[in-house]
This record gives sequence, C-alpha cells and structure tokens, in this order.
Amino acid sequence: MKISQNSKVPIYQQIADSFRTDILEGRLGQGEYLPSIRGLAKELKISVITTMKAYEELESEGMVTAVQGKGYYINPQDGEMLREQHMRKVEDALMEAIKYAKIAGMTDDELTDTLKTLLRFEEE
Amino acid sequence: METQAVISCINIEKKYKNFKLKVDKVDFPKGFATALIGENGAGKTTLLELIAGLRLDHEGEISYFGKYSEKDREEDPVVKNSIGYTGTGNYFMPGWNLKQTKEVQELLFDGFDGDKYDEILKELAFSADNKTDANKKVNSLSDGNKTKLMLAGVLSRNTDLLLMDEPASALDPLMREKLCEIIREYLAEAEGEKSVIFSTHNIADMENVTDYAVIVENGEIAEQGFVEDLKEKYTYVKGDKKDEELGKKYMYDMTTNNYGFEGLCLSDDLDKLAGADIITETPTLTQLSVGIMRANTRLKLA
Repeated sequence: MKISQNSKVPIYQQIADSFRTDILEGRLGQGEYLPSIRGLAKELKISVITTMKAYEELESEGMVTAVQGKGYYINPQDGEMLREQHMRKVEDALMEAIKYAKIAGMTDDELTDTLKTLLRFEEE
Repeated sequence: METQAVISCINIEKKYKNFKLKVDKVDFPKGFATALIGENGAGKTTLLELIAGLRLDHEGEISYFGKYSEKDREEDPVVKNSIGYTGTGNYFMPGWNLKQTKEVQELLFDGFDGDKYDEILKELAFSADNKTDANKKVNSLSDGNKTKLMLAGVLSRNTDLLLMDEPASALDPLMREKLCEIIREYLAEAEGEKSVIFSTHNIADMENVTDYAVIVENGEIAEQGFVEDLKEKYTYVKGDKKDEELGKKYMYDMTTNNYGFEGLCLSDDLDKLAGADIITETPTLTQLSVGIMRANTRLKLA
C-alpha cells in the first residue's frame, strides 16, 4: 500500500480506497480480517486514529464488520447492497449541491442544466 | 467513537505565585497517543507532573486506568509499576554514574529488565562504539543522551502508560523518527491496551504519531479532541485582500499580509464566507495548534 503524505486525498481516504479496491477485486476475501489497527499504523508510519478512521469508513459502507476485541472482518460483497450504498452517497452529494444552489439563488432549471453540462464534460 | 479513559482529570487546580493551572475535564483516551501542545509556561509540564505524582497538593481528582485513585498510585505498586515517566532536565541524580542509574531503576521498579535496558540503549545509539562507560556521570551526558537514558529506562519495564515530557526536543531528526517508531510499536504491543501521553513543541515531527491533541494555553485547556475530528471541525482558509473584513468577522483565527489573509475557520462558519474568493484546505496539526494557540494566547502578537 502506498500512502502519499502530500496528496489532496486525506490519508484515511487513501487507506480506505486501497482496501476497498482489494476487497472488490477479490484480493481480500469474505471472512478475512483486516490487519490490526495499531499494527497497520506502525507499518505505514501513521497515527492510530487515522487508521481507525479508514476502518470506520469501510464499516459504514458495509464492507467490513467490527468485532469487539478481534478486529474488522470482511463482509460478503452483495452487488445490490453496494449499489444502494452508492446511490445513498449520490443523494447526499446532490442534497449538498441543492443547499449551495439555494444560497447562490440558482433556479431549479439552472441547477439541472449544470448537472447535465457536467455529465457531458465527464463523458468527453 | 467510544473510548475509555486511561487518565481522567476532573476540576484540577494548581496555583503558583504567578500562574494557575485550571483543568475542568480531560479524559486521555486509552489505547492512543495524546500530545499536550502549548506555549512555554502554558502548564503542560505541571499537568504531566501532577499525573505522574511528582507534584502532589492540588485540587480536583485524577484517576488511573478507569479504577485507581491518586492514593492508589502512591500505595499500590501495581499502579506505580504500570506507569513510565520521562522528564526533562535532571530526572536522574546528576552525580550518579550509569551503573548506579541502572541499579536504582532495578530497585525501584518491579519488572525492570536490565538486559533489555542495555539492548535499547544500543538501539538508540547511546554511545558511538556501543560500549557504555559504567562510571560516566549523568551530568556529563548530552541532553539527547539524557533523554535516551530515560527512554531506555521506561521501555525496559512492563508498563501500560508512558508519560513523556518533551521527549523529542533534545533528539536529532533521525532519533525523533525513531521515537515515533518506538511510540507506534508500544501502542501496537497490545491492541488498545497501552497508552502514551507526551508534551511537545515539535508538532510537525510528531503529527504522524498523534491521535488525540490537548492544547493548553494560559493554564487552561483551549481545545482537545481526536486529531481527525479537529481536522473536520476546523478548515484552513486562504483569502484575498478584498475579503479581509469578512475574514476578520468570521474566521476563528487569522493572519494578514499585503496580499490577503489565512488561518483557521470553524467549518460550521464557512457558509458565512460564501461570496468571498477563498481556497480551503484540511489543516495540518501544526496549523491547527498554532491557530488555536494564537486565538487563546495571553501574549499580544502583532
């Protein structure tokens, strides 16, 4: 695992991303445990709390489950469930966008147009 | 996140002639490394010494490992043996030689492992040729070597809590890195059972080993929390000169120059800067600490 201290992406996010990829691509299988929090912090030379935040992020996504005293094990990955979780994240992000659109006084049409324009850019 | 406290301080007051330490409540989290950060004279050393029991009479209560009182710390060897303390200056008597220093620790603490002690001193490059002169007096040691001697002392015992007053300050950059490694290894020895509390001015060097930060200013706790939470609570903001007045009104702390302003803003207040041309960043622990210290300092900074 490569961690960049200078990236715009927070360190906890980099760790969570790395494990998420490993899980989704099958390198870490159902029922396996993630490394111990303090063991990983030691290896990566980062603080315990940063490692813990990465694991909590994975837990909130339903990728892993915490067991008191034993650590975090990897859940069976259900395609439908993952899709639902991602959709919830999309909703949250859009709510955030709506909030700022209101502050900026944008109309609903302007907001949807912005989204459409951005989608077009993404495709290109 | 639910955490237990390894040390709980409640309503602590300690008065000196020109200074008062007043701590309403701090729970140092068990299983983590906590940094005490603050100006010189802010009260960090006093707080550590009260916890370690090097200073006694004070108001309020300190409890240990969730079940022991200060009286237990004095009377129950179990408590004393599970706490390791390293200070600044002359913790060991200056006239002692290295042999006596080792013997005294063997006498004082159950579980002091003399072989491990020698091994750690070697690992810390205590002497260039790996031979320690048993007759060498403590007061002839460099500050760095005094720190190493104290570190070896606490690390060769079987403790659950390390209290370290400015462990980094006398060490060179290589040894500071080693110190961080030592702290991480200590925490990893028993997942969630071992804790470290240290004070430091070298915030940047210790950032990657700081889980919880307690920022002390003027004898009081100005802010405390898990670093990842503080990084969400505050945002680092940089803005243009034209928006300086808005910044002054809503920033938590800021400095200005000819081109603009920068500093900490409470993330909840970011909305109020809407319309201003700003960039926002997640603050580093140094930016957090300096901003919070400056906002609470008794010094009049320009």
